[in-house]
Amino acid sequence: MLRRIADSLFWAARYIERAEWRARLVSVNHHLLIEGPAPAGNAWSSLLAISGDRELFEQHYARLDESSVLNFFVLDERNPSSIRSCIHAARANARSLRHRISSELWLELNTLHLDARTWSPARMESGDVFEFFSSLQERFYRVAGVINGTLPRGLGFDFLVLGQVLERAENVTRLLDIKYHYLLPRVEDVGGPLDLLQWASVLRSASALEAYRLTYGNMIRTDHVVELLLFDGTFPRSARFCVDCLEAALRRIAQSAPDPAATPVPLASDALAGLLASRSAGDVIASGLHDFLLGVQEECQRISSAVFDQYLRFE
Amino acid sequence: MNAQAVSKPVPVSDAYRVAAGLFDEMFDAERKPRPGCVRVVEDLLGRDRQRLAELRARADGMFLRMGVTFNVYGLDEGSEKIFPFDPIPRVIDAATWAQLEAGLVQRVRALNAFIADVYGAGEALKDGIVPRDLVLGCSQYRRAGVGVRPPHGIFVTVAGIDLVRGADGRFYVLEDNVRTPSGVSYVIQNRVVTTRLMPELVRASGVRSVEGYPGDLLESLCELAPRGQSRPQVALLTPGLHNSAFFEHVFLSHQMGIELVEGHDLVCVDHKLFMKTVHGLKQIDVLYRRIDDDFLDPVVFRPDSVLGVAGLMAAVRAGNVAIANGVGTGIADDKAIFAYTPAIVRYYLGEEPLLPIVETHVLTDPDVRRMVLRDLDRFVIKPTGASGGYGVIIGPKATYRELIEARERIEREPSGFIAQPVVQLSVHPTLLGDAANGAGPLGPRHVDLRPFVLLGKRPRVLSGGLTRVALREGSLVVNSSQGGGSKDTWVLER
Repeated sequence: MLRRIADSLFWAARYIERAEWRARLVSVNHHLLIEGPAPAGNAWSSLLAISGDRELFEQHYARLDESSVLNFFVLDERNPSSIRSCIHAARANARSLRHRISSELWLELNTLHLDARTWSPARMESGDVFEFFSSLQERFYRVAGVINGTLPRGLGFDFLVLGQVLERAENVTRLLDIKYHYLLPRVEDVGGPLDLLQWASVLRSASALEAYRLTYGNMIRTDHVVELLLFDGTFPRSARFCVDCLEAALRRIAQSAPDPAATPVPLASDALAGLLASRSAGDVIASGLHDFLLGVQEECQRISSAVFDQYLRFE
Repeated sequence: MNAQAVSKPVPVSDAYRVAAGLFDEMFDAERKPRPGCVRVVEDLLGRDRQRLAELRARADGMFLRMGVTFNVYGLDEGSEKIFPFDPIPRVIDAATWAQLEAGLVQRVRALNAFIADVYGAGEALKDGIVPRDLVLGCSQYRRAGVGVRPPHGIFVTVAGIDLVRGADGRFYVLEDNVRTPSGVSYVIQNRVVTTRLMPELVRASGVRSVEGYPGDLLESLCELAPRGQSRPQVALLTPGLHNSAFFEHVFLSHQMGIELVEGHDLVCVDHKLFMKTVHGLKQIDVLYRRIDDDFLDPVVFRPDSVLGVAGLMAAVRAGNVAIANGVGTGIADDKAIFAYTPAIVRYYLGEEPLLPIVETHVLTDPDVRRMVLRDLDRFVIKPTGASGGYGVIIGPKATYRELIEARERIEREPSGFIAQPVVQLSVHPTLLGDAANGAGPLGPRHVDLRPFVLLGKRPRVLSGGLTRVALREGSLVVNSSQGGGSKDTWVLER
């Protein structure tokens, strides 16, 4: 497989995942505004914290309100991580891949891209924002379905998986980190209604609320949320699940080399796997969740650049 | 449904009329279907125009869905442009095709021999068959090609020969394309569509298949393997997705199961060509290039080109990679050389040309020049260097001013132009109107034919080729950029 092709697959998947993640994040926080006790500004402010875009936002917007936030996260092409930017980037990568992906996937991404071009601020304001996000979410599920249902499980698929799970693992750890350390500055609020509501919305952002209830019941506890989102090997958006997929994909890629034995052992993802396999939520909360999450993120980035060096670098 | 509600269809052919002096591909002078056309006339032209328009609309839908969507979705403006398709096929009976096939093979073999000679011993130049100055001064002559001997002496793996049929019903060669001819993907896709639209008619007619082309092309390419490997690594080099033929590049590489590469996917090391894969460099043995000579190798040709790869020509010369078509093949399809092609056939093969060419006047001869300039408005004037219809002046349609300018340019640089008489291209019944304006009547429209010839250890001709049709009334220009469309071309089994 050509490096250019593998690179495009990797990034197409990363951008699809990022767009979907952003859509879910914005929609959950938008929802929080409607039923939450917190002042509106607070939810938008958390959103900027979670996404890490506060600086960029403040460069371009004077006010922090619903329309500016929606515009920034959904439409603004000055924001490289806006949903529209991510969709365009995913589609641009897919365009040079047309002969390597199914025509169904191309059509799906291409129509999504064409639709995204027609989105307007007016639609965000006048229209039903909830409806907008739920139909957008359906589109992402359709993309995921087409990927699963039409792509052969070969080398190309493995590079898609790499892009997807690396993005997902980074996003979920970042979400936990921000919630745990920044969103509730006053210690006396821990366990209060706002805290619970924020944890519930964290779970919702990861489409994990229902999975949580199935396993842990109705009561939301920090250690259980951490357990589910970091260490549960069965939940498809947990860090552990992502790392398992990552390891398997890396192994398959390495084995596909003409002479696997002679190929330098790539990309030890062992460190990351070790981090996630040997610990439990109780441990990491006791010894410092923030450092742990930071460790996971650093490992993800290290693997990302190792993948680039070994398989994708052009020159 | 009661019997009276079913009205008898009004055959669309009833009102069809052809002006005198034109050759009609489907009907003879007595309005009887030509050999091989009876079934199509009865079955297809016996319908009313609405039903034909439905077929056309269904075809358009299929093209969109099948991936000619490249034009539609590919452009950022999302411009809805598909190659217009006429549902009435052009039929060529087996006897006519047998003659054409023999003529095409003969012609491409001779052109290939000419190229081998020009970049080799140069016998034809010594013997004065083609003027040496004309060849060496030709814009398509490539010094870098001198001395290159491809496996089996094949310079022209793929040729597309443009044929027109005159008022006398004979096929004439209008132009050769032996650099990077395109259009074959439309031939294959047109057939996919007609087979779905009219399966019974296709079967009953006994139409020769075209789907073997990608396999034949791959086989011809594999035969070029420099060390005779049985399974060489073959790749198709494309200029990238902004190229107008990108869809065809994707289609062919997909069909052949070979890698589609761009210049920056490639690197030359130790006079060998490699592509950059996730598991390191992988050597390429045969490169089917779809970019022009000038862009192939910045070391030898245009230094600013990023479409090719530095060192490619050295790898070719070292015999480590074969490229198809070879470098410098353009000398054989240059318009100035065209006049000499009948002599080229006689010289290399010792045979009379089976396919005549459209009469072509070389303007460097003072007597010929005087004759042409006297009646400039009766000729088509073509610049020798250009291709794709660029700079062509059609005398009868040119303005006075254009003719004056053409005369000045010819007198200043006689070698830069050739003159051909205006050929009255044959016509074919074609459904008029379009999706926007509904079904029109049947009308005669001018057509040409581009068959494709593959040269390998043995020559192969794709049965049929691309029939282009000038959709504007009276227009002789079949190019898709000028409102041309296409038809499926049926060569009959017997």
